[in-house]
Formats: sequence, structure tokens, C-alpha cells
Amino acid sequence: MKIVLHVEKLTSNYECVQVLWDVSFDVNEKEIVAIIGPNGAGKSTVVKTITGLCPPSGGEITFNGDRIDRMSPYKIARKGISLIPETRDIFPRMTVMDNLLLGTYVNKDVDLNSFGEWIFQLFPVLKTKSKKMARTLSGGEQQMLAIGRSLMSRPKMLILDEPSLGLSPIMVEKILDTITEINEKGMTILLVEQNVQEALEIAHRAYVLEEGRITRAGSGKELMKDERIKEVYLGM
Amino acid sequence: MVLETGLSIAIQVLVWGLILGCIYVLLASGLNLIFGVMKLVNFAHGEFIVLGGYVSYWVVTLLNLNPYVAMLISMMVMGVFGVVIERTCFRRVLGTSKLNEILLSVGLIYILQNSMALLFTDYPRGIHSPYEKSIISLGILNLSLDWIIAIGVTVGILIGFYLLLNKTALGRAMRATSQNRKAAMLMGINVENIDMLTFGIGIALAAAAGTLLIIITSITPYAGSLPALKAFAIIILGGLGSPAGAVIGGLVYGIVEGAAVYLVGGTWRDAVGFIILILVLIVRPTGLFGEREK
Repeated sequence: MKIVLHVEKLTSNYECVQVLWDVSFDVNEKEIVAIIGPNGAGKSTVVKTITGLCPPSGGEITFNGDRIDRMSPYKIARKGISLIPETRDIFPRMTVMDNLLLGTYVNKDVDLNSFGEWIFQLFPVLKTKSKKMARTLSGGEQQMLAIGRSLMSRPKMLILDEPSLGLSPIMVEKILDTITEINEKGMTILLVEQNVQEALEIAHRAYVLEEGRITRAGSGKELMKDERIKEVYLGM
Repeated sequence: MVLETGLSIAIQVLVWGLILGCIYVLLASGLNLIFGVMKLVNFAHGEFIVLGGYVSYWVVTLLNLNPYVAMLISMMVMGVFGVVIERTCFRRVLGTSKLNEILLSVGLIYILQNSMALLFTDYPRGIHSPYEKSIISLGILNLSLDWIIAIGVTVGILIGFYLLLNKTALGRAMRATSQNRKAAMLMGINVENIDMLTFGIGIALAAAAGTLLIIITSITPYAGSLPALKAFAIIILGGLGSPAGAVIGGLVYGIVEGAAVYLVGGTWRDAVGFIILILVLIVRPTGLFGEREK
């Protein structure tokens, strides 16, 4: 299987406190890989480091063979990694349509009609509200907009940072179903999640990040049956 | 008869106020753009205004071109100059601390003012427009052709500016950068390039304003400070970051100032504008069209 993202011995500091210790993991083509763990484990730091928002203090990150650690965020985006941040970060005073069109900044060859139609199929509410200001959307709708916007750039890998955060259980189901659907169309996905149950259900493989270290790795099913994970994270 | 004369005078004062308004709108739009995208307060804006005026002056004097053609040339030259200044001076300082940004701007004020004084002397310069003597008569109205052209040119520039910002991919990128810089980076936008272009465009608009200034009156190297200060007041009046606020604020301010000169005399002209600003801010602290921002 072709390795898309290779992370090796990543260390990271946040204001003089070391946050990540020798974190290593891979994401293969067309996989959904989840990084799960408690609050404060360093999951968001991993994401920020991969996307260039935060420089690592050590280690290597390779994407499709190219070293991307220490590259500027916009260059990493242009290489084909698209992040849907924990805070969604949609552009509040631009319309839904303008937000989506912005996704094509990186990749101007996108055929807006056919591709746009797929995105509207995935998220019909974006079509209905296409002329509304993005800040008027609900939390779940903003999440959909953020995903749609990232998809518009035809990325080679999507990273979703806590997509279930702040959403109702129904919305969480919907979003995760959509993630599965996008993956079935061939998208490589790295998912960072606090909601361990939901993440393990859709992930092919997962890594457990605790206090800045990877403590376990395995397939989604394996980890769901793991005794310690069941006890600590799944409340069983 | 008296009523007709009164009306004629009122309209002339209104049109004069509109011309002032045009200058202020160009300034306010440029400052707003720079502040919106770069979060930078460019205190040296006034110096770029008069420098733009001087470039037009020399284009007209040496190349014998029409002042409004000179304006376009000045806008292009100053636009490039703005890009260079951003790249060499502001880029290193942006994001480090507000104090650094302010000190850099203030330093630029003195460098630019003194360079211009050295090169051009502080003898007031003005451009004589070929349309100076042409008066358009509309019934009881007598309006200088220059005034009409100035308004027309400003409207043209503003339409171009609006189209750039709202109908192009680049404009979309600039708006995105102004609303969420981090997300813009994640969308593949090279925000440092956007900063350079934004500053260049802001300075080009200042150059247009400076050219209008040197056509309707005269300038010295120090003449830019007060208009720039007023432009700051206007963007606060109109609401920081609101393009509509910059336009309406600029026009209102220009008309109020024009009326004040006529009604209460020149010494009060600068005060009247600021008094209006204070009054508006007491009633509506975020400005006329402002957003309640963090």
C-alpha cells in the first residue's frame, strides 16, 4: 500500500513545555486513520505541526515523498493537504458560495459545475444557503461548509481536527457518515478525535495518543475490542 | 432671484464638498484595505499622498501630459513603490508587535517628508489643469469642468476597486485574508504576497487622492498629514473594515467640511469634521457601519 503521510519521531514544544515525544505514524492511500486520545494529549499539536502552523522541534514529516516539516502552511496546502480545523475557521463575512469558491484558489482547474454538484449532493444545505453570510450558519452547517471548502481544493489528503466537537449526536452521525462516503470515493483521511467510539467505528486504523506519546496502534476493530481502551475511553 | 443665487451657491458648495469627499473616500478606502488585510495602521499614509501628487506634478511638467493621465501613471508608479516599501520595511515587522509597526510608520513619515523637501523644496506646487477655465453651465449652475472630471475619475477608480475586491479570485483571497488569516493560509493563500499587493493598492489609491489634491489646490511635502489624519477619523466614523463606511463616511465628511468652510470660515474647517466624528462615536461607538468585532 502506498504511504501518503509518513511521520517519524516528531517532537514539539509549546512555550518551553514539550508536548510531543517521538510521535511516529503512517497514513496509507485511501485509508481513514484516526488519532484518538484524551483532551490535552497533543492531538491538535500533531495536526498543527503537519499543516505548518507550528514548527516541530525534531523529527520528519514526509508527504508523498516530499519533506514538509518546516514548510509554510500555504505551501503545504498547495501540496494537497487540506485541514478542516477544530474551530472550522470559515470566512464569516463572505457568502457560503464565496467560501466554497475560495477552496479553488489552490487548484484553479476544478470544474465547478460537476464538482460543485457533488458537494451540494453531500451537503444540500450549502446549496439552499449559498448566498447567505457564512456566519449565519449553525455549528453543524459551518462544519459542512468547512469540509466542502476543503474538498473544493481537490486535496490528496484531508485532515479533520475534532469534527464532532460541539455537534449534536445526530449531526455527528451525519458528518461521520459523510466522511466515510468521501473516503469511499478515494480520499485519504486523517481524523483526530476525542469521540473514540465514533472514530474507531469508521477508521481503518487508529493510533492512541496519550500525554504526547503514541501508546497503541491497530485496526479500528482491534482497538475497539482492546480491554484498556474499552475501560478508559468507551466506559465499559 | 435671491433664492436662485442661494440655491446655486448651495449646489456649488455641495459639489465642492463632493470633490473633497472624493479625496477622502480614496484615502479612507486605501487605509481601510491596508488595515483590514494587514491589521496595520499606516501612519505614513499622508506622505504617500503627497508623493503621489509630486509624481503627477513631474509627469505633467516634464512630459506635458494631461493631469488625469498623469494620475494613472502616478497610481501605477506609487503602487509599485508601495509593494517595495511593504516588502523591504513592513514585512519584517508585521506581527512582531504593534509598537514596532507604529515606530516604523512614524520613521517613514520623517524619511519621506524630508526626502521630498530635499528633492522638491517646500515651495508649494500645483498643477494647472487644461480644463481649469472651462465652466459647465446648467441653468443657474456654474460648475468647473475639472470638478466634474475629478468626480468621474474617482467613481471610475472606486468601481474598479469594487470589482477587484468582489469579482476576482485575488479579491476573494484579500477578503479572506482580512477575515481569517490562519484559514487563508490553510487554503493555500500566500498571505505575505497578499500583504504586498494590498499595500500597493492602498498606496495607489493614496496617489490618486494626492493628484486630485494637487489639481484643486497646491501641496508641500507636509501637506499630507492632515488629510491622512482625517481619513483615519473617517474610517473610524464609517466603521473599521467597512468599505461602504469608507465611502459614505468620506462623502459626508467632505460635504460637512465644504459646508463648514463656507458657513463658518476656514479656521473652523478642520475642527468641524472632528466634532462630527466625536458626536457619531458617542452615539454609535462602532461607527456608522461598523461590526462588533473582537
